[in-house]
Amino acid sequence: MKDLLTKITNIATEKFTAQYAEARAQNLSKTMFTMKEGRVEAAKQGIESGAALRVLVNGAWGFASVGSLDQKILTEAISEACAMAKAASARLKIPIKLAPTKPVEDHVTAKPKKNPAEISVEDKIKTATSTTQVAMKWDKRIKSCTVDYMDLAGTSYLTTSEGTHIEQDKLYVWSKMTASALQNGVYTFSREEIGSTVGYELFDTETPEAVGERLAKRAVIQLGAKAPRGGKFPVVLGPNVVGVFVHEAFGHLAEADLALAGGVLANNMNKKIASELVTFYDDGTIDGAFGSFKYDDEGTPAQKTLLIKDGVVKGLMHNRETAQKFNAQPTGNARAEDFHVEPIIRMRNTYMAPQNHTFEELFEGVKDGYFFKSFRGGQANLDGTFQVGIQEAYEIVNSELGAPIHDASISGNTLETLLKVDAVGKDFELDSGRCGKGQTAFIGDGGPHIRVSEVTVGGSS
Amino acid sequence: MAALNKETILSLAENAVKVALQKGAAEVEAYAYDGKATNVGIERGQIMKTALIIDRGLGIRVQINKAIGFAYTNIIDNPATVEGAIVKALAAAHASKPDKDWKTLPEKKPYAPSPENTFDSKILELHAEDLVNLSTRMLDAASESDKRVFPIEGGAGAGYGSNAIANSNGVSAFDVGTMVECSLAALAREGNTVTPVCFEFAAERTLNVDPEWVGKEATRLALSSLKTKPVETKNYKLLFTQFALQELFYYTLINAVKADSVERNQSPFKDKLETKVGSETITIIDDGLLPGGLRTGIFDGEGAPHKKTPVIEKGILKNFLYDNYTAQKQGKESTGNASRAGYLSTPSIEATNFHVLPGTKSAEQLLSEVDDGLMVSYLQGAHSSNPVSGEFSVVATPAWRISKGKIENATRGVMLAGNIFELLKNVSVVGGNERKMGQLVAPWLLVENVRVIGK
Repeated sequence: MKDLLTKITNIATEKFTAQYAEARAQNLSKTMFTMKEGRVEAAKQGIESGAALRVLVNGAWGFASVGSLDQKILTEAISEACAMAKAASARLKIPIKLAPTKPVEDHVTAKPKKNPAEISVEDKIKTATSTTQVAMKWDKRIKSCTVDYMDLAGTSYLTTSEGTHIEQDKLYVWSKMTASALQNGVYTFSREEIGSTVGYELFDTETPEAVGERLAKRAVIQLGAKAPRGGKFPVVLGPNVVGVFVHEAFGHLAEADLALAGGVLANNMNKKIASELVTFYDDGTIDGAFGSFKYDDEGTPAQKTLLIKDGVVKGLMHNRETAQKFNAQPTGNARAEDFHVEPIIRMRNTYMAPQNHTFEELFEGVKDGYFFKSFRGGQANLDGTFQVGIQEAYEIVNSELGAPIHDASISGNTLETLLKVDAVGKDFELDSGRCGKGQTAFIGDGGPHIRVSEVTVGGSS
Repeated sequence: MAALNKETILSLAENAVKVALQKGAAEVEAYAYDGKATNVGIERGQIMKTALIIDRGLGIRVQINKAIGFAYTNIIDNPATVEGAIVKALAAAHASKPDKDWKTLPEKKPYAPSPENTFDSKILELHAEDLVNLSTRMLDAASESDKRVFPIEGGAGAGYGSNAIANSNGVSAFDVGTMVECSLAALAREGNTVTPVCFEFAAERTLNVDPEWVGKEATRLALSSLKTKPVETKNYKLLFTQFALQELFYYTLINAVKADSVERNQSPFKDKLETKVGSETITIIDDGLLPGGLRTGIFDGEGAPHKKTPVIEKGILKNFLYDNYTAQKQGKESTGNASRAGYLSTPSIEATNFHVLPGTKSAEQLLSEVDDGLMVSYLQGAHSSNPVSGEFSVVATPAWRISKGKIENATRGVMLAGNIFELLKNVSVVGGNERKMGQLVAPWLLVENVRVIGK
């Protein structure tokens, strides 16, 4: 593979005077199924193979993706990518340059304890069936349960015109479970998502019993929940909500491409923008976490990147292009979902560091507020407006946990909200999820429980 | 890689059906796809990148003893890998569990004539240079108007997609469509103020997009969001544009009209057929045959004919959307709503062109109906709506304050909270300004009495 890919990148540099060329080839295989109330819709297996070729010609990018590893087809494709880059460069005022990196030669192999490829589809279906049974038997008001399962294994080969040759195994195990409940015309919905880069041993900790119970309990609790009041309230956020807040509200703004696009963080380097209790990392090196890997898709080693330290902005997440713009080091955040798409800046495992409060202490002094325990989705805007939709929440009345509330969301301005973080717990939890930015990335996010003195709650009562 | 012609792609699917039957499948369906897209990308105000994506592949669904297996591969020029995929599909069916409700794959049914404006050979001839040109016209129109505007990303793209489906029940079908689009996201800056991102686009099946309009609109929207004033928390009359409706409907209402959601107790529309579920102003047709529609084609993801299905007529719920499996289970006929996300997915129920029939009022006339309200386009968090109950709690940013029939100023970060099924009942006026956006085809809607949480 190395020889083939080297021949292809050589065509770009020698024949088309590309300043840089990279060839990424992949062989991927997936097992997937969707189960609804224990019924398997279809057990699915697939294999894909192809190449992503990227070149820098006259300071503009050209990219081509083909589902083939045939030398003739790859030669055509990289020639086309070079011609297209040249066409795009016609009106370029500021040519693209890349921050230098050390070429790497390495071979990274996955070492799962339980290799999903060696576990039968029957066993995978059995695990999903158990989860379904636990959830559906939990309470007869549970009316539906869907389990999506996927494992992905494969090898990625990266060769660049600068001498990088990396062969890296990919291994992901992922499942999403949802349940709905119905009583007297009230409909509720609950979701769980788990993932790992270790192997099928994911289900040894996230057992069908544990996940099924979490799923069902939440759907049932919501049946008796009331609508939240809209307005500004003090809130306690659970690690699951803190994670998505760190990812959505802050993380995207700290992606250097979005910072350059006019995001509010670009001019705040080394400035204090948050309470001194706030320390954030984006870390690609946590063993087995869903957002971890050894090298990114430009060949830069993954690292633990400090984003905010004690309230002060310390770094952004970079690829080689943005690192050059900011005169910084690439941080290993250039990721491509697969060979159909080009690498772009993506988060890995993004989290808030714990401090010293107990869970109980966080509730102290909150007379009338909310505890947001688990999220349903979140989204951010470059101007710093964030939204996090909540699937499990409770009132806080006189420092005590109160009645459940349903379908709330929180919003505010990220920078204003980070200044209002007034207590941070000593616990820690990292969750697995997926992030969409034109392509999907597997990520982790998390943190401790925290208290925020004021956010806007979107509620209908 | 040259495009695969109709005969090649159809015979690929038909052969896979034959081989799978020989290897012991009781039923087989093969879906083949061939597509090519060329894109030119704008980043930070200039054209910086290009991409060519060629994607093709084959997905095979087999039934053995009422258990379903599926496999896909993108290596279709090699008979051995195709055969390997067939063997995998059969193995997957053996590993899966029988489904007592499974009846058959769809039977061969006549298709409607190909709707107009879904294919344009001029799109096939577009090269990177043409798309650079299109993007340049859009950027020039955007940046000429005002220095405070910063086009952050966007671009232009063109491509085609060919689909072939064959099954062991006699279905053998081919369709090809084209698409061209251009888009621009912009924000405006003045002093320390940065506006939220404002986005505009044009997407068509024929070479009929206006890049200058896209550039100017994105700019106008960003500039109009610079001056903001907070609004108070209360119930307002809201004028929803298609951007907001598309997201809200996709995550709530469309789920509720899928026959499998209804059957699985995940839809408040259960037992509501022929009852009033919306205001009399609302008529919605799921139209897989809409001329020029972005989701138009002659057949669905399993080869069933696309149709026009009335969903809501003058506020009365008329039909749910079916694929073949759910239809057979309930003794009904498929409405042609089986959708595939490419060759690597099995079909599932999805709307085609979800068409909210327009009224007659222009944008100005709609505005003049509002004494004190908001115009809502861009939502954050619609995907976090409750997909079953239809509750939403989202941020509208920017939104525009309407006072005495005129847009007064923008407002930022307001939250809207409510329920889609209540909202449907509170639609007072349906505009005449229809527009296609993804699977939604709709005009603006004026909705009474929506909870807005302001500053």
